[in-house]
Amino acid sequence: MTKSRTVSLVLSAPLAALLLAGCSSVEPWVKPYEREHLADPIMSFDRDPVSSTYLDHVFEVREGARGATGGVGGGCGCN
Amino acid sequence: MKRNMIRTGALLLALNLTAAFPAAANSIVAGATAPAFQLSSAGGGALSLADLKGQVVLINFWASWCGPCRQEMPVLEQLYKKYKAGGFTLLGVNVEPKSADAASFLQSTPVSFPIVFDADSHVSKLYEVSGMPSTVIVDRKGTVRYVHHGYKPGEESEYLDQIRTLMRE
Repeated sequence: MTKSRTVSLVLSAPLAALLLAGCSSVEPWVKPYEREHLADPIMSFDRDPVSSTYLDHVFEVREGARGATGGVGGGCGCN
Repeated sequence: MKRNMIRTGALLLALNLTAAFPAAANSIVAGATAPAFQLSSAGGGALSLADLKGQVVLINFWASWCGPCRQEMPVLEQLYKKYKAGGFTLLGVNVEPKSADAASFLQSTPVSFPIVFDADSHVSKLYEVSGMPSTVIVDRKGTVRYVHHGYKPGEESEYLDQIRTLMRE
């Protein structure tokens, strides 16, 4: 196979898997009693959820008009 | 190219369909016979579910890394002390591979009900534990009657009602 065909096949296979599997099963499904390492505080998204909520809010207020958080926000002629 | 994609797609579909079962969050159903097991206990020696037949058994799957499990322990201890005399027993199944963490938790929060260690998770699989903590209440005949997933403070009143119902039988 040529390189471009390999690349496109490698890229399309997970995409096909996603499309075909949908939401039926999440793999690998970590059993609740195996989540010891996931429960470690270092594995949480926020070190301090209160602080990050606040900072996210500040960021949204400051940059939201220009679409910072991905939503359509602001009303100053945004496209 | 297209043939390869179709073949890959068909294979992935087959794999995903067969893989769907482990992820399905089914758990042990009320009315089923409680699967028998034998595990090594914290006090040394082995403890099996068959030893406890004739009593109402509350099997609690817990781990020291799980916050609600730690919250639940003193509550279960109170429950055990209160109803121990009436034919009720509590069995704490610790699901951690490293039992040392559980042992150190038990030193700081000692409990008087039997604790067993399920380090290789075969009992957790047997009981299809799909939440931490999980509580399975088994009646005197060895039939699973109530299953609880998770713990929120205040749920112990449900446990009390259910245990009293089963103890009256």
